[in-house]
Formats: sequence, C-alpha cells, structure tokens
Amino acid sequence: MSTEVRADRPAAPGGEAPYAIEMRHIRKAWPGVVANDDVNLTIRKGEIHALVGENGAGKSTLMNILYGLLKPDAGEILINGQHAHISGPRDAIVRGIGMVHQHFMLIPVFTVGENIVLGREPVENGDFYDRSEVDTRIRALSDEYGLHINPDARTGDLPVGLQQRVEILKVLYRGADILILDEPTGVLTPQETHDLFAVLRGLVRGGKTIIFITHKLKEVLEISDQVTVLRRGKVIGTVRTKDTNEEEIARMMVGREVLLRVDKAPAKPGAAALRVEHLTVNTEQGLPAVRDVSLELYAGEILGVAGVEGNGQSELVAALAGMLKPRSGRIWIGDRDVTEEGARHTRHAGLAHIPEDRRGAGLILSFSIAENTIFGHQRDAAFALRGMVLRLHEIYAWARRLIKQFDVRTPSEETPARALSGGNQQKVIVAREMATQPKVLLASQPTRGVDIGAIEFIHRRIVEQRDAGAAILLVSAELDEIRSLSDRIAVMYEGKIASIEPPDVPEERLGLLMTGGGGRQTHPAAS
Amino acid sequence: MTASTAPARPESEAAATSPWVERLRRVGRALALPAGSVVLAFLIGAVLIALAGGDPLASYEALACGGFGISCFGGETPALQISNTIEFITPLLMAGLAVGVAFRAGLFNIGVQGQLILGAIFATIVGLRLASLPGVILIPLLMLAGVVGGALWAGIVGVLKAFTGAHEVVTTIMLNYVAYNLLNYLLINGPMQAPNSSQISLPVGQNAQLPTLIPQEGLFFGQPGGAYHASIGIFIALAAAGVYAFLMRRTALGYEIRAVGQSQRAARYAGISVRRTIIVTMLISGAFAGLTGGLMIAGGSLHYLYADLKFDTTGFDAIAVSLLGQNVAIGVVLSAILFGALHAGGLVMQSDVQISSHIVEILQAVILFSLAANFLRSLKLRLPSLGREPAKPDGMEAAQAALQAEVGSTAAAEGDGRA
Repeated sequence: MSTEVRADRPAAPGGEAPYAIEMRHIRKAWPGVVANDDVNLTIRKGEIHALVGENGAGKSTLMNILYGLLKPDAGEILINGQHAHISGPRDAIVRGIGMVHQHFMLIPVFTVGENIVLGREPVENGDFYDRSEVDTRIRALSDEYGLHINPDARTGDLPVGLQQRVEILKVLYRGADILILDEPTGVLTPQETHDLFAVLRGLVRGGKTIIFITHKLKEVLEISDQVTVLRRGKVIGTVRTKDTNEEEIARMMVGREVLLRVDKAPAKPGAAALRVEHLTVNTEQGLPAVRDVSLELYAGEILGVAGVEGNGQSELVAALAGMLKPRSGRIWIGDRDVTEEGARHTRHAGLAHIPEDRRGAGLILSFSIAENTIFGHQRDAAFALRGMVLRLHEIYAWARRLIKQFDVRTPSEETPARALSGGNQQKVIVAREMATQPKVLLASQPTRGVDIGAIEFIHRRIVEQRDAGAAILLVSAELDEIRSLSDRIAVMYEGKIASIEPPDVPEERLGLLMTGGGGRQTHPAAS
Repeated sequence: MTASTAPARPESEAAATSPWVERLRRVGRALALPAGSVVLAFLIGAVLIALAGGDPLASYEALACGGFGISCFGGETPALQISNTIEFITPLLMAGLAVGVAFRAGLFNIGVQGQLILGAIFATIVGLRLASLPGVILIPLLMLAGVVGGALWAGIVGVLKAFTGAHEVVTTIMLNYVAYNLLNYLLINGPMQAPNSSQISLPVGQNAQLPTLIPQEGLFFGQPGGAYHASIGIFIALAAAGVYAFLMRRTALGYEIRAVGQSQRAARYAGISVRRTIIVTMLISGAFAGLTGGLMIAGGSLHYLYADLKFDTTGFDAIAVSLLGQNVAIGVVLSAILFGALHAGGLVMQSDVQISSHIVEILQAVILFSLAANFLRSLKLRLPSLGREPAKPDGMEAAQAALQAEVGSTAAAEGDGRA
C-alpha cells in the first residue's frame, strides 16, 4: 500500500547519516482499530516535514510514539542513524526530540522565563532561583533563532502567538534538534501564522529539523519541504512539496477526488429575511465589540463576514442568535422584531445557528447524539408532550433520520457526542440546525477543525440551504471559505462593517480592508 | 483545531459494534469506577482492622450480618437486621436524591442537612397542629409540609445563586447553621419544647405516623413486632427515586437541568434560562431534602423533633451516596443500600467482634476520597495493563503525562492545580 516516493536530494555534507529520524514498520493497534499499520516515515535533517491526514488517520499516534508517550506494538525507530529505544518523553528529550503541543502546557501566572526553565531551573548559592542566568540564557536562545520575547512578561498576559513562542523556546531550552509541532496554526491569526512560519524558517536555518502536523493544505504548500500523507493508519505516500499541489494532497488524504471549489449557481436573492439597524453590542466583559452595524440579509443569498478574529464577528452572531443582549439597535427576522426575544424565541422565529464553539455551545458532549439533535428544541411539541414529557420514540426516530441524511458516522443514536470525531460532531449540529428549514441561518466557523471530506459536505449543504431560500450569514476565519461560498462579502474591522464587497474581490483588497485600510466602497449589490 | 489531534479512533471500530454491545460496555464503564472504589475501601479497611489487632474476615462477616442479615454468628435475628438496615436506607436514599438533583445541574448542595431540618420542623408542626385529622389526609399533608420547608430553604440558595452569583457551597453551609440555631431556638426552652422534657418536641400522634412494614402486635421471626421499626417510608423513598429517574431521563426539565450542569454556555445557546433552571433545581433538591425530614418524623423510630438532629449526618452522608451512585437513580438506590447496610452493620460489628463502628466511617471516607480524587483512573493511566482497555490518553492526558514526565513530580503538581 505504501508507495513511498523519496526525494532524490544528496545526502547531507560531511558523510553524516542524512536522516534525522527513520521510523520503520511502526504498528500500533487498539482493540478493534489499527491506528498505525506498517508505517514508514523518514525525516531528513534540516527539513520541514509536513505530516498530514484527516482526523483519526494516525498522525498523532505516530508522533506520540516518536515522543515516547505511546509504545508501538512493532517497528523500530532510528534517530540520526542510531537505533533508539524510546520508552518515555524523557528518552525522547535526551535524544533531542521536542514536542510543541496543540494545547499549551504553560502556567499562566509564571513569567515567560519561569515557564521556559520549569523543571530545569538554574540555581545559585545552592538553592536559589537564578533569575539573571535565566534571562541571559533565554535572550541568547531568542537571539539565535529570532524568537523575540521578554522573559519577564507574565505568560497569561501574552497573546496566543507569543505563548506558542514560549512553548517553542521551552523545547529549544531543553536542547531539542528535532521539533514536533502539533497543529501549531489552529489557534493563530493569519498574521501570527505568518510570524510562526518566519520563526520556523529561522529554526531550519539554525540546523533544526521540524515535523509539522496539520490538515491545512495551503500551509503545507507554503512551509514544508516534504509531505507525508497518512490515511486510516497507513502511509499513502511521501512527496516533495514543490512537485505536488493541493488537489493531489487532498486526494491522497481522502482517497477520492475532492472538490476544493464549491459548485454553485448565481444567487437569486429575495426579500430581506434579516434586518439589523444600528446594532451595538458589548462583549460579556462589557467591552465594546460591535459598533453601530446595519445590514440586510436577503433570502436565497450567502453573506460572508470576513475579518481578523476578534473584530466583533462573534458578538454580532451571538447578538443575532439571542445569546447576547445588544446595547442598542434593532434586529428583525422577517417582520418580527426579535431584539429582546432571547435565543429560544429567536429560534422559533425561524433562525438557526451553527455556533463557532462547537464543543462548548453547540453540543453537550456527554449527551447522546439523539439528545443533541433536539438541543434547543427540547420543548417543541414534536419532541415533548405539552412541552414537558420527552417523546423518546419520536426523538430517536428523528435522530436516526438526521444521522442518515447527514451521513453522521456513529454506531448508534445513543452514542455520546463526545465519542464522535470533530467532523461528525459538526455534522450533528449542521443537521439539527438545517433540518428545521430556517429562514435565517447563522453559520459561524462551520468547518473549523473539520476534515476535508466533511468540509466539502458541509459546504454543499450550505449552498443547498441557500438555494432552498434560506438567508445565510457565514462567518469564517478562512478567507478561501468566505470567497468560495459567499454572494456578498462584508468585512468587519473594529466592530464596524468596513465595506461590502463582491465575491470576486481580490484577496489583497480583502486583506487591506481586514486590517483597517482600503476605505469604504459599497458594491451596488449591497444597497 | 479542537478535535484534530484525537488519537486515531477510526469510525470503523464504532460502526462494527452493535448498539447492544455498546450499551453493555457503557454500563460496564459506568460501574467500574464506583465498584472499584468500594473494593479499594474494603481492602484498606481490612488492613486497618488487621493493624488494630482484629480479624478482618470475621469483622466483615459481622458487618454483612448487621447489614443484610447473612452470615450471622452472634445470635442475631436476620429479619431484624434487615429491618434496621431499611431504617438507615430510607433517609440516605431520599437525601442522596436531593444531592443528586443538584449535582446534575452542576450545583453542590451541601445544605441538605439544613433543608432536612426545616422539612422536619414543618412536618412536626403540621403533625402536631392537625393531629385530629385522619392519617390518609394528615400524612400527605405532613409530607407536603416537609417538602415545602426544604424547598423554601434551598430556594433561598437558588435565588441567591441565580441573581447575585453567590456560590451555593457557601450559602448552603451558612443556611445549615441558621437551621441548627432555629432548631436550638425551637427546642431548647423554646416554643416547641415538650413540657417536662428537654430539647425534644412532643411526638406526632398515631395518625401522623407511617405504618411499619411489620405489624407491631405479635411475634415475628422470634421477635416481638414492636422491635421492627422499618416503615413503609422506604416505598416513598423508592417512589421518589422513580420520580427522579423520570424527571432526569424523560422530561424536558430534566434535560435542561442536565444541559445547564454540563455547560451553561451551551444552555444559553439552546435558549434555556440558566437562572430559572438553577432556581427550579434547588427547589426540587430542597423538596427531596425536606421530604427526608418529613419521613424522619413520620416514618422513623422517634416521631418527634430533637435538638440533636443538628449532629445527625444524613445530609452529608448523602453526598457520598449520590457520588457513589453517579447521580443516577438506580445508582443512588444501590449506594443507599450499601451505605445503609454499612451503618447498620457497623453496630453489629462493634458488638460481635469489638471493632469500632467508626471503621464504617473510614470505609465511607475512602470511597468518597477515591471517587473524588479519581485514584483508580490515574492508577489505570500509569499501569495500562491493569485495565481491560489500554489507556488511550487523549490530547490533554497525553500532554499531562508528558508534562509530568518532563518536569518531574513537583512541577506536575502545579500543572494539575492549574488544570
């Protein structure tokens, strides 16, 4: 199965072993599942190697084996040409492997310096924490790799991008030559991602080797030298990045042709389904988030909301969905003023909402899928006698129908939502929100953290809803998603709609508008 | 970004197993932790008994005798032991349900004891004032009074929590003290103190007392009927467990209570009023607690209010009952039976093998500890071969394991504290 394509690059100079890591015939099985099946992975020194695959493909298992968190059932690992027996992270660290986890392992009340040296604090006079020594060492490291950071800053106060930098420094401080980065860009803004890539290039120049786990194809193409694709525990292939393209990688990941572009007919906008006038919303902490926004959303169109995260998109959606009370302004769904209605009645007025926080708001993870399919509708006559006693039979039948229609992969409707993959969790939400045939659909980051197959599916469903006459507000941090789905694009900057643009607006202009430039220009279709 | 690093668990595995197998596996998983805690507690208890110079096996035999009327060797009457156990089970079960309802909404009701006292006070007042009514009317009224008393007391907590955010742990504890002092006021030279007695009220009349399971006249299993105190209150408690199960699994309200308990953010998303749910939950929790108090007056062996009710620990033992029962009706019933049997059995153990009945409190404490600290789970993580399934560290656990491995135990403790 494994069709390994080796790049024919000359071996590293000096006659050294050319490979930083060779993992050979790795196998790891759980009862009933083979997470890694005869996996071979070869990482050259000084390269950035992307490891891609859908959720559950075995990337994390493989890296956890390399880092010593899991023991493989079979196979061997060579590090710098030497056989290595790694029985725990300590062994991995000794051999120069460092891992930057997706969820940061930082203590927020510690300073940057304290976090970096945690566990290996330099001491003076026997047992006193040597702050100046810490500062010196960290500054030396930062300068060497261009990771500028103030060692005395309180970690919790730093933005996410800098916290990640602290994680990377922590790993470097422990002497890592090979860095494993697990989905490092998942939490970053585009600018922070850009900065991270600059740092990674600097690390490689400094002789480090990087393994980069991701599922974002654009990033793979931008940053990596080699790509290894995993699917269902097997290596599908390793290719040189410059010899491949997004479509090929996507096909290797999913195992079939994937439509990365969305097919859709031109929109036929109808009457205004949602009207917002002079809406001003504060965050839950009381800080201004949305400032005097007015917009009209028409039946049968998709209005994309683009913007760097934190420019008021979340609060706009929360206010429209009735989760956050606006400070001023009005919201109409059709002819009904829902400004003061709250989530329950707004939903009854015909609004559906795919929330950005899938696991924290859209689902109750401990609830069964069936219970989640009525979330928000638990007192509807269809599911509860007189709004009080649940009609379990109907609920289960309903859940089975949605599972089938939306292709949710699950053993049964009684399975807790927690047990599903991210993509399937999202499908449960999408199914529930679309099944009510809403007049207005708010889709907030509908495909975040979802694998490619599911992204394609969800995009198709959103377009179907539009064609069925729903008015759709799409908020996404992925510019590609906004551009390929939207009929109009509203750019939010500092709580205001900076401009409304046609879908074929050049990316540069969007980028400019998102960062406060560009000026106001309203497209004729927006009036 | 949230789910993409879950360890490989392809859907094919899940799809291959039938719903029934999955259901059984879920039941097994749900039982593993509580059962393990109990076994662990008994093992530690055995060590302590041996250290104290006792015979663990004989002690546990005596415990079983006192609890379930089996393996008796001290001349006990099994039926009488079972009756005693039932008498312990009834309030533990009721109060366990009270704690459980609150837990399901994410509320920690430590005030069950206070609510129970209020329920008992209200019930006693009704029992004494309306003594002339026939039992079929008086007993339901008395129970209702208990429910109202408990619900009022807990309702204060709910309203404070919903509107001011005052933490229920603080307010329930404070209200416990208010309840204790109210009891002191009423019974120590107060308006409810019985004439020529001290610190107790008059007993409620015959009409206000629940029938016992065994008639008071005649000889049963070699003992006079009057020796058996267990009343039909146990059926009321079991019915309450049924109501609890129905509420949680089959009603929209129960659904909303559970949703609020899991994620208030999600509840708001679904249009559930978190405030209203918190208040309603506390009212229900208090109602169960108040009914416990009513059952103590109408169905216990004393039938009167006494000031030392403030030293009673039912409301606190109920926390262990509810936790061990995982806040599920059937679980709470089973753990109430276990704790009821332990409490009853401890007395027999003390008299038969001279091992202090306090060992029962130690057992209870160890159970509570291992549940709260999740000992067994962390043990399983360390030694994957112990469990039936190998440990599958998810992102966070793997990371924690990594952190611990990297920085050693001291720093890991801080990491845990942060998590």
